[in-house]
Amino acid sequence: MQIFIQTLVSGIVTGCLYALIALGYSMVYGVLKLLNFAHGDLYMIGAFVGYFSIQWFGGAAALVIPVPLLVIFMFLVAGLGVGALGVAIERFAYRPLRNAPRIAPLITALGISFILEDSVLLLFGGFQRSYDTPAFIPFTQAIHIDGVNIDSVQIMVVVVSVAMMYGLTQLVNRTLFGKSMRAVASDREAAEMLGINVDRTIALTFFIGSAMAGVAGVMAGLANEQITNIIGFLAGLKAFTAAVVGGIGSIPGAMIGGLVIGLCEAFSSSYVSSQYSDLIVFAILIATMLIRPQGVFGQPPLQKV
Amino acid sequence: MKVRRLFIGALGVMALASVTVFGASSSAASAGSSAKAAKAACKGSIAIEAPFATGPAIPQGLEQLHFAELAVAMFNKANGTSFTLGQDDTGLNPALATTRTNAIIASKALAVVGPSGSQEVEAVGPLLAAAGMAAVSPSATLPALTTSGANKTFFRVVPDDNVQGPDDAHYIIKHKLAPAGSTILIIDDQEAYSQGITAVMIPILQAAGFTVNHQSYNGADTGATLNSDMSSLVTSQVTATTKVIILPWQSGGNAELFAQTLAQQGKTATLFGTDGTNSPSQFVAPGTYVSAFGPDISTNKSALDKSLVKGVAKYGPYGPFGVPTWEATTIVLDAIDSVCKAGKTPSRANVLAAVRKTNIPASQSDLGLPVKFAPNGNLAGSPGFLFHINAKGKYVEIPDK
Repeated sequence: MQIFIQTLVSGIVTGCLYALIALGYSMVYGVLKLLNFAHGDLYMIGAFVGYFSIQWFGGAAALVIPVPLLVIFMFLVAGLGVGALGVAIERFAYRPLRNAPRIAPLITALGISFILEDSVLLLFGGFQRSYDTPAFIPFTQAIHIDGVNIDSVQIMVVVVSVAMMYGLTQLVNRTLFGKSMRAVASDREAAEMLGINVDRTIALTFFIGSAMAGVAGVMAGLANEQITNIIGFLAGLKAFTAAVVGGIGSIPGAMIGGLVIGLCEAFSSSYVSSQYSDLIVFAILIATMLIRPQGVFGQPPLQKV
Repeated sequence: MKVRRLFIGALGVMALASVTVFGASSSAASAGSSAKAAKAACKGSIAIEAPFATGPAIPQGLEQLHFAELAVAMFNKANGTSFTLGQDDTGLNPALATTRTNAIIASKALAVVGPSGSQEVEAVGPLLAAAGMAAVSPSATLPALTTSGANKTFFRVVPDDNVQGPDDAHYIIKHKLAPAGSTILIIDDQEAYSQGITAVMIPILQAAGFTVNHQSYNGADTGATLNSDMSSLVTSQVTATTKVIILPWQSGGNAELFAQTLAQQGKTATLFGTDGTNSPSQFVAPGTYVSAFGPDISTNKSALDKSLVKGVAKYGPYGPFGVPTWEATTIVLDAIDSVCKAGKTPSRANVLAAVRKTNIPASQSDLGLPVKFAPNGNLAGSPGFLFHINAKGKYVEIPDK
């Protein structure tokens, strides 16, 4: 039972991170029908922003500001910074290709992914860097349930992720911007004809999706500690899998898909073998494509007659 | 008639004198040229293959690079030579190592220091053998590298895992790190080095009466997946009877993450890392044992040790990977220099032959470590070293294991 609960906790934490990245995939696909494969690397950039924030304030073992302030600072800087980076990428790499064949922005997205990874490698090296979280958030700050430890970082990841997902859902369903986003996702030309500023809507969508990936990167650094320039690649692929499983373009689908993938990864590591966790996760992707290609919450494509 | 004979005679004498004079000066010139050539020929390039820019072992790779650069600088200064060091990052990745090795073979490099990783030597050893290039590795310890017959020009200045594996296992048994009958968990990272050490240690531990739980994880995983791996391993495999956990990995960072995951889940066990985890800047879990194949030069008093410490001080903390690299580089340069001193132009073939003949007894070794290669390229007899990480995260060499 202890193994089950500990694995469940680990799976939920990982699933929340994948969900936050998957939301960005779904949102961008919704408005642009583009699979932004550079999205996982925005998560990586967020992790580095968080790491350097810690160093700026004295390092993990000698912080000069209270930990709650540090965490808020990291979230804000990563969110705003990575959000702005996402807007810039959309403006200069994807917008000129909006009317090009779909393969063109897809290849561009792959190119942007490599550019981001190699830029970080060139600037900061390929070292494994560590947040060294226990130095400023000790493991002793934890809830103990029947031999299972749930530390404060894990609780924070879940709480912040749920809050962000709830906030995004409210934004999409109850605000004018959300309505504009749904309109653009439904029919871009019609939305434009109705006076919606499509460029601004798409830019803001990228900002929100990228900001969430940036914050997810900070939380990943706090929870997983080790970061390198390549952590975004596999995380991005798994988040993409989550978005597809949940229904690409569907926000609730991305959330559920992220949790499903995170739990599958954790349980397959614990009960099968950690060697096979990736195999199982991507087998789920293939199975979904074969059985229900639109995903659990996705809509089947309309057939016009 | 008489005048003609005199004239012809004079011409003959002049010709003879000319031949004598010019011949002598030419001979002197060529002797001087040979001497100059011998001195001027004492230059050349070698290459180092190490993971100093990419991959999971960058700190160790950088340490190797810095000590190799220091060795070249010290050798040039002491001997008046002009050797250069080409740098080739291999990232502990066989595919990358193959690309870099092909580039080195196409260059003018006379020999190679490295490759660092056993899996890299498996990939490029045959290429270097086909090119007739000596490759002296400071850290590739898989026993099969010298028994397979595929790496005919491969040498190493460190003992192989058939020494390290049993040494570590016997230390655990002799010093009772785990109570009799308890469980020892050994986790490999699916690389050749890791699996090799695991295969050597398991029978020894089982023969001593321990239950050995052997698990694996993908050493190439990063980020959330790596954390998931560590968390799952600790959750499901570290039980109340697990007293020692052996980590034969090539990443000190991953070993530190495992240690922290252990602490985060409130579990305790003695960790035992092999040389691949030896990284004073990354793996600092107190109470851990970490084996190595190089001594702690910072505590030794010899002039050379002090020079080495001073030479790399600007790069920050280093582990035991540097000294063997310094040694490997110096051996290669010595080999090239010996060819020069014999009046020959260094080539890959004669440098390889010189490397094979290396025979430095401990009494004549600057580091006090003997170097002699067996016919298969193995180091003939060398001790391993063991460190214990104290409460402050500092590596302390265990003097008599």
